[in-house]
Amino acid sequence: MNQNPDLLTLRSVSKSYGTVAVLHDIDLSIRDGEFLTVLGPSGSGKTTVLRLIGGLEPLTTGDIRLDGQDISRMPINKRPFNTVFQDYALFPHMTVSGNVGYGLSVRHVQRKEIARRVAEALELVQLGRFADRFPAQLSGGQRQRVALARALICRPRLILLDEPLAALDLELRRQMQEFLKSIQREIKTTFLFVTHDQEEAIGMADRICVMQAGHIRQLGTPHELYYKPNCEFVARFFGENNLVAGKLGPVQGEQRPIETALGRLICSITDQPHLKAAPEGASAFAAFRPEALHLADATDGDNRFSGIIADLAFAGSSTVATIKAGADNAAQRLRLRTPSRIGGSALRSGETVALSFAPHEGHLVLA
Amino acid sequence: MNALPRPSTIFLAAITTLVAVLLYSPLFVPIVSSFFTISHGDVDWSSPTLSTYRALAENHDILTALRTTLIVGLCTVVLSVVSGTLLALYYHGRRSGRSILQFIIFLPFLMPPIISGLALLIFFREIGLERSLLTVVIGHTVFVLAIVYRTVLMRLQSMSRTLVEASYDLGATGWQTFWRIILPNLSSAMVGAAILAFALSFDETMITILVTGTQSTLPVRLWAMMRLGFSPDINALVALILMFTVLLCVLAARFLIPRQMATERS
Repeated sequence: MNQNPDLLTLRSVSKSYGTVAVLHDIDLSIRDGEFLTVLGPSGSGKTTVLRLIGGLEPLTTGDIRLDGQDISRMPINKRPFNTVFQDYALFPHMTVSGNVGYGLSVRHVQRKEIARRVAEALELVQLGRFADRFPAQLSGGQRQRVALARALICRPRLILLDEPLAALDLELRRQMQEFLKSIQREIKTTFLFVTHDQEEAIGMADRICVMQAGHIRQLGTPHELYYKPNCEFVARFFGENNLVAGKLGPVQGEQRPIETALGRLICSITDQPHLKAAPEGASAFAAFRPEALHLADATDGDNRFSGIIADLAFAGSSTVATIKAGADNAAQRLRLRTPSRIGGSALRSGETVALSFAPHEGHLVLA
Repeated sequence: MNALPRPSTIFLAAITTLVAVLLYSPLFVPIVSSFFTISHGDVDWSSPTLSTYRALAENHDILTALRTTLIVGLCTVVLSVVSGTLLALYYHGRRSGRSILQFIIFLPFLMPPIISGLALLIFFREIGLERSLLTVVIGHTVFVLAIVYRTVLMRLQSMSRTLVEASYDLGATGWQTFWRIILPNLSSAMVGAAILAFALSFDETMITILVTGTQSTLPVRLWAMMRLGFSPDINALVALILMFTVLLCVLAARFLIPRQMATERS
């Protein structure tokens, strides 16, 4: 993946509506052929990024380069990108094949060629039988696939998808996630996918760009974001996490301790130079995932603390315990996730237990 | 509905029926009596006949007036639909000046027709435009423009903005987007507005009386006939106009309430 050249580069791009700035100095490179997800809560500016790239809105400052060429001022209908809109935006007065062929017919492609490529595209999205239906006669999932076929028929360099699964129910959404991913592999086109759903992002993306309040907070693989979040926002937003505030201690090789209400916690700082560089005594959080937290046994030397199990929730494949720890077993709420067993959990609600997590499963984020 | 106790439901039903009968039965009297002859000022109920219709068909004044009405109606429809649609397109999504324009467009529709008619009459005199069918068409257009503008604008507003964006996104030019996306989605609203405009123009009387020249439209003709006394072919004429108007309204409703959109929402 790293060898892939950059397809599209955003350089210090910002966007304001009047005096309201919605994007601040965004830098982003999209690699050729990747599935990049822009993830963020509503109002984070993620859809604006997509609309700027698609040409639906003009930039306020900065530039967008395609293969090194500035396309910031290129009109929307000249850009080699196509969009799958959140509401699909299918033309209600055209049939499915009319919709899918629109991009070709406005470019005056020959009728025969249009018919051939429409059939091909509908085959790809498995809608061959529905060519003569109108959008109103299709289900949500089918409309979604028509919108996708319509976007990819012009063979764009980049397909922009604006929360296309938001309107679908859970089961259909899962199917469509797999479907989108497989299509992307098949046509080897770059996908830029905008969503607020982090599970969706983890499941589909090669890389994820986390946005908040008009800034990019972190860009990396799902694995990197999950295990090495670079800030409190990403650590909290991306998957369930335990964050314990404290002051950094001295660097110890690839690890660094942090003094917290739970005592001294040792966390890994591998490949995170900014954590090595941070001064002693700096405010930070120890972060560890609910599945990394476990009942301590004799072999656990580091990161031991006690807590009281406040609540146990059976969640199917796993059981989640809410734990109160810290001063008077009340100051800090933690979550512990453990695989469910038929015999029931070894944890008992109300019990005081010794807990631990391995130093290599803990990480630090600066406050 | 079912929450009401039974006696009050019966009471309400009785009131509703009474009001409906009182208000709407007069409409059916001319229809029914158009199939009977009138002698000595009384309807002769004994023998149904089509003679009133025959008399109507032989009345050249009425036939000429009908032709005039149709010409005026068609010209009004074309003029108002074209200009109403253009105005709606121009002001859609534009804030500045829109409320003033809407106020002006709606004024003639809401004002008493005699005021609109007088204002037009004075205006035509000032600019030296002879009263003729042209002035009638202008008067009717001014009157029905509000309906066309409103109908088309509402359809534009209910159209998803992303349709236009999607068209550009797929490589279409502004011109292609207009002809292939915007206009087809407006067409049923335009047809509906055209039918309404025609229906309004068809029975407009007050403005027409004031701004017409020597030619009279059907309602004006009818008005003139009424002054000379009650003649049996008026019943036939009223019956025909009533049926024609109902037909137009049914047609307009069909075009203005798109079935496609209804199913899409569900």
